[in-house]
Amino acid sequence: MSDVKIEGFELKPGFKGMAEDTGSDQTMFKGVQWGKVMMWIFLLSDTFVFSCFLISYMKGRASTVVDWPNTSEVFSLHVGSVPVPLLLIAIMTFVLITSSGTMALAVKYGYEKNRKMCGWLILATAIGGLTFVGMQVFEWSKLIHEGVRPWENPFGAKQFGSYFFMITGFHGFHVSIGVIFLFIYAYKTFAGHFDKEKRGWFTTMKGGYVEIEILGLYWHFVDLVWVFIFAFFYLW
Amino acid sequence: MDDTINLTFWIGGGVFILVCLFMVYCILKFSYKEGRKVEYKPEDHKLEKILTIATTVGVIALLAPGLIVYNNYINTPKNALQVEVNAWQWGWQYRLPGEDGILGTAQVAKITDDNPFGMNLDDPNGKDDILIQDDVLHLKTDRPVKILLRSLDVLHNYYVPQFRAKMDAIPGIISYYWFEPNKIGEYEVLCAEYCGVGHYAMRAKVIVENEDNYENWIKEQETFSDLIAKQENNKLKTTLVAQNND
Amino acid sequence: MSDEYNQQNTPLEAQSSETMSGSSGTPSKDIDYVRPAEIPEQDLYHGHSFITKWVFCQDAKIIGVQYFLTAVFTGVVGLILSWLMRLQLGYPELVPFITAEHYYQFVTMHGMIMVVYFLTALFLGGFGNYLIPLMVGARDMVFPYVNMISFWMFFIAVCVLMASFFVPGGPTGAGWTLYPPQAILPGTPGANMGIILMLISLSLFVIGFTMGGLNYIITILQARTRGMTLMRMPLTIWGIFTATALAMLAFPALLVSCIMMTLDKLLETSFFMPSILQAGEVLSYEGGSPVLFQHLFWFFGHPEVYIVALPAFGIVSDLISVHARKNIFGYRMMVWAIVGIGGLSFFVWAHHMYVSGMNPWFGFFFATTTLIIAVPTALKVYNWIITLFKANIRMNTVMLFCLGFIVTFVNGGITGIFLGNVAVDIPLSDTYFVIAHFHMVMGIAPLMVIMGAVYHWFPLVTGRMLSEKLGKWHFWFTFLGAYSIYFPMHYLGFIGVPRRYFEMYDSPYVTSAVGMNEFITLAALIVGFSQLIFIYNIVTSLKIGKPAGKNPWKANSLEWLTPDVPPTHGNWGEKLPVIYRWPYDFNVPGAKEDYITQTTPPSEVINAEVEKT
Ligand code: HEM
Ligand SMILES: [Cu+2]
Ligand SMILES: [Cu+2]
Repeated sequence: MSDVKIEGFELKPGFKGMAEDTGSDQTMFKGVQWGKVMMWIFLLSDTFVFSCFLISYMKGRASTVVDWPNTSEVFSLHVGSVPVPLLLIAIMTFVLITSSGTMALAVKYGYEKNRKMCGWLILATAIGGLTFVGMQVFEWSKLIHEGVRPWENPFGAKQFGSYFFMITGFHGFHVSIGVIFLFIYAYKTFAGHFDKEKRGWFTTMKGGYVEIEILGLYWHFVDLVWVFIFAFFYLW
Repeated sequence: MDDTINLTFWIGGGVFILVCLFMVYCILKFSYKEGRKVEYKPEDHKLEKILTIATTVGVIALLAPGLIVYNNYINTPKNALQVEVNAWQWGWQYRLPGEDGILGTAQVAKITDDNPFGMNLDDPNGKDDILIQDDVLHLKTDRPVKILLRSLDVLHNYYVPQFRAKMDAIPGIISYYWFEPNKIGEYEVLCAEYCGVGHYAMRAKVIVENEDNYENWIKEQETFSDLIAKQENNKLKTTLVAQNND
Repeated sequence: MSDEYNQQNTPLEAQSSETMSGSSGTPSKDIDYVRPAEIPEQDLYHGHSFITKWVFCQDAKIIGVQYFLTAVFTGVVGLILSWLMRLQLGYPELVPFITAEHYYQFVTMHGMIMVVYFLTALFLGGFGNYLIPLMVGARDMVFPYVNMISFWMFFIAVCVLMASFFVPGGPTGAGWTLYPPQAILPGTPGANMGIILMLISLSLFVIGFTMGGLNYIITILQARTRGMTLMRMPLTIWGIFTATALAMLAFPALLVSCIMMTLDKLLETSFFMPSILQAGEVLSYEGGSPVLFQHLFWFFGHPEVYIVALPAFGIVSDLISVHARKNIFGYRMMVWAIVGIGGLSFFVWAHHMYVSGMNPWFGFFFATTTLIIAVPTALKVYNWIITLFKANIRMNTVMLFCLGFIVTFVNGGITGIFLGNVAVDIPLSDTYFVIAHFHMVMGIAPLMVIMGAVYHWFPLVTGRMLSEKLGKWHFWFTFLGAYSIYFPMHYLGFIGVPRRYFEMYDSPYVTSAVGMNEFITLAALIVGFSQLIFIYNIVTSLKIGKPAGKNPWKANSLEWLTPDVPPTHGNWGEKLPVIYRWPYDFNVPGAKEDYITQTTPPSEVINAEVEKT
């Protein structure tokens, strides 16, 4: 959303503009919906949650008494009989990033009031997310099958299993919540709630396509967190 | 260390009293009267600046000596005697390095009835270590002691109030601190990190004595090799007894 | 929830450019100009049944009262636990049923309840909900529904916490810091169900609080009324705002450590657990780091201290200003000090860990940052007392509590300098000196503010005044009593009495500590019972208190300027208020009265020589 028009107030660019917005009355972020600010601040808080997890993981990994398992072996997938390291994870990452793309497109079509396109793209995003969760379930069961547990790990340090299941589990939980909301929003889009400005359940304000952008923020965030998890677990 | 406490005490106490006196003055002088003339001055940059600078100077004056003392506290003198303190729920035992001056390695996982300190049997440094399975520790006067802390289960803290120093014992890590006892006497050791129901009863004793008494005490203590030898003996005896009974 | 949403029929035009309500003189458009409204009107949900109006209510004011009452309930539980502890410490043999297990359970529950479920919930959930929309001129919180869920989450968290008193093994006795490995091992009371319920309860609290916190922040940032700039907000709002921001960033660390510890307990993962020998057996744990937990805990724990303190700072500034009939001195500096303290509070956490066995070199860094915080804190104290200088001080109960706060806080702040300065902390840490310090600074001082605030805002909430006479009795008992409790504890700390000791036995210290401990216990009982005066005062004043009328204290800030007193749902009737000034225009030279409310347009007070916007 570009050019918001606010009566009696001129939005100026750059740092000066920011200072002026801050010093003004009523709102600090001019023309930004409450829901959107809420999502940003929630994501900031959630960033701290994931940072705490990842920093603990780094500390835990750096100070184990037993060696950390060789990740490229543990996470490899056999194609025929050849182990291909990082195959599954590459596909997972690809799917998730693609779904971020479809989400961005959905937001674009939403603002263009292209209800159909928007709805289909949200649905595509949801399916991407579902695929991701499915592959994660596959990977978990593979590791569990090989004997990795939160409390033990045949390949090396115990903490590998603990941190892996905890952090990917917590991320997978975020993705699942996102998928649920994507399906709800796909329904809402097709049903025309955003065109009719039907008021949302949690708010006291009229609805609109901006809600899709808000959900999009969440989705991109989950995606970004995955990139970090990917880097820390699979590439380190 | 006591000097820094005293410094903080007097400066802090002074500030506290000044603030209170000023408040009392204000209350007495400016209590409510209809129509009293009140100053209207939202800000006074000069005053604010002076107060900021004065406070900063005061804080630096307190911090700087503190950091110097702390620097001494974490750098152990070279001639310090080493004493390893083992803490467990709820008691203490000690290990001294013996003649070679080096403590052998040890691990919680290796602890058994026969090896109460979890000593590493392959480590030659550990053979002459003096093991004290008792909570009374003897120290000599005027010789710095470096306390190495190990815990077998949870957090503990080896604290003798009169020595001022303390540090947690953490399972899996060896922490340390040092002090120099200089007054002969008996002191009570208190555990100063909560470690479960027995925390308050987790006491021990430190006896600070002169060189001669200390040497006598050391001589009476058992080394790790003594302990092994004794156990071999016992085993031999039991097998002999068993054979005799056959 | 089947009730329909009422269409708000206030037309939007009602509050665009032609401003000034009831302007009497010759309104000069220029000096009174305020930008038109940016935000469309909120479409509030009005409850119809008893349940939607009072129980699952979406009105922030009611939610505030709900938070307040629930928090006070937990506070009473915490107080009773403190009596039991004091009885044991003062008269060891008197109450035979208090065993060491019980003592440690009481200590733990007392500490956790007081810090998290009582003070945090009271300041942010209670005062925050009630005051934020009123003081910034909003109709309600921005997401009333989420706000309602927030309270009920908190309520469930409290229920889970209280349930732990009744499970086998009782509540956890791990100390409020819950340090592993001890917290989840059998040597600690309540190491099974107790600790699990505690961790679950804390997690629920964090989730619930996040919902509320988002509301507070966004209401303050995005839902202010026309003319309300950030620098015209009362300091109360600044305090609550900064505290909430801290909470949003600090609670994640608590949540993460709770999750990890729960897994350590239930699944035997080894996040915080190294190899451990218990009862002659090596447990299955291996390679975890207990110090990691301490870092996570204090990364939450230290900001938590300021989450409690900052709202108190803000509220007390407003109370002092109103009752000293003088503007708060150095408003801008006060704001920057609040924000600065908040920001710095994320860089000092390891001052709680000087003797924890972490790398000793951290000591230098954390001692320095800790003492840097002392500077803005000291400036706030100066500003409070300078506000009193050349003022016109009403010596009523509210003011007494404010002064009590300053004395207590300065005392606690100075002992804080002892404990922040690493070399001084080493002999004092984990002794009664620490107990005395934090009770002064985050126990008694904020309590003084809460009590002052109740006397101040009771007329707003209920429409009746509290009795001044009883109030003064209440103050003197509480203030002198609290000093009798905690002042001697500094001495106990200096001689080295460790904290969390069930009893001292025949330790050489007892000789001088026994009499003192008895005295402290008596004082604690008296302080506790004197709170009955307070409760009596509240209960009777609800019925027979003097009707307060509008704005009984002649304050300037918006919450007193609602069309109905007590304010009704939606707060402002037909039209949102318009703000022309900061809330501290007391005794402005040239003005007719000794106060100018925030809604008074400049054209009505042409002669007043107002300095600040
Ligand atoms: C009249 C009121 C109070 C009394 C008599 C009281 C008394 C005590 C006592 C006796 C202890 C245990 C000391 C020990 O054995 O280590 C304690 C601990 C504690 N109190 Fe209070 N207290 C009171 C109010 C408060 C308040 C308002 C707070 C809120 C901040 C608070 C926070 C704590 C904390 C955090 C602990 C430490 C718990 C632990 O060691 O795990 N107390 N209090
Ligand atoms: Cu202990
Ligand atoms: Cu702190």
